[in-house]
Amino acid sequence: MNMFSALEISGAAMGAERQRAEVVATNMANAETTRTPSGGPFRRKQVVFSGGNNSPFQLVLAGFRRLTGRSAVHISRVVNDPAPPVMRYQPGHPDADKTGYVAYPAINPIAEMVDLMGATRAYQLNAAAVNATKQMIQGAMDILK
Amino acid sequence: MNNLISNLPAFPNLDSLKSVPASGPNEAEGNFGSVLKSAINQAEELHGSAEQQVTDLLKGDRGDVHNVMIAVEKADIAFQLMMQVRNKIVSAYQEVSRMQF
Repeated sequence: MNMFSALEISGAAMGAERQRAEVVATNMANAETTRTPSGGPFRRKQVVFSGGNNSPFQLVLAGFRRLTGRSAVHISRVVNDPAPPVMRYQPGHPDADKTGYVAYPAINPIAEMVDLMGATRAYQLNAAAVNATKQMIQGAMDILK
Repeated sequence: MNNLISNLPAFPNLDSLKSVPASGPNEAEGNFGSVLKSAINQAEELHGSAEQQVTDLLKGDRGDVHNVMIAVEKADIAFQLMMQVRNKIVSAYQEVSRMQF
């Protein structure tokens, strides 16, 4: 452990939150997408945060090593929301099925907006942690003055 | 890029200063000098890494803004620490040179 570990932990968390904001932006951008390369409407994406090596043995081992990027938080997977698509009756639409219904992604723009706010706040939180760590280190160096 | 930072050696901690033998002034001097020199080298390495990351970011190759800022801050803190130690050494030297006999 050296004096920069806290900065690296906060930096990893900021990267993860930025990726989360990207995924939310993708969801908002594709809220009305009815066709994708894999067929069917766009599926809402969700991120899975992972703390890396969480087993007790790994935690003990990490105490002896420098904290690396693997033990800091990161996004391990981006998964599809299993919610079924929303069917809207639009007979003239090119993607309508035989009964005239079009499958739209099950994306609620308000929920996505709240998620985006969460990502933004968490990013600011970690930026504040970086600043606090910086001030602690500078406070330690001021002892020498 | 993260590997680049995490592979950099840590600043010498106080344990390495404890191993300075008190036998001869020359040996002790050499050891302290080498500790200071390695601290300067590491500050220099952090500066080089930060510079590289800023260049990569501005070229648009890769890198997140926050990671680059943190790298720059690391380099700044390492430089400040080196300057503090250097100022302390110079003031100690001046204190000795003003000594009255």
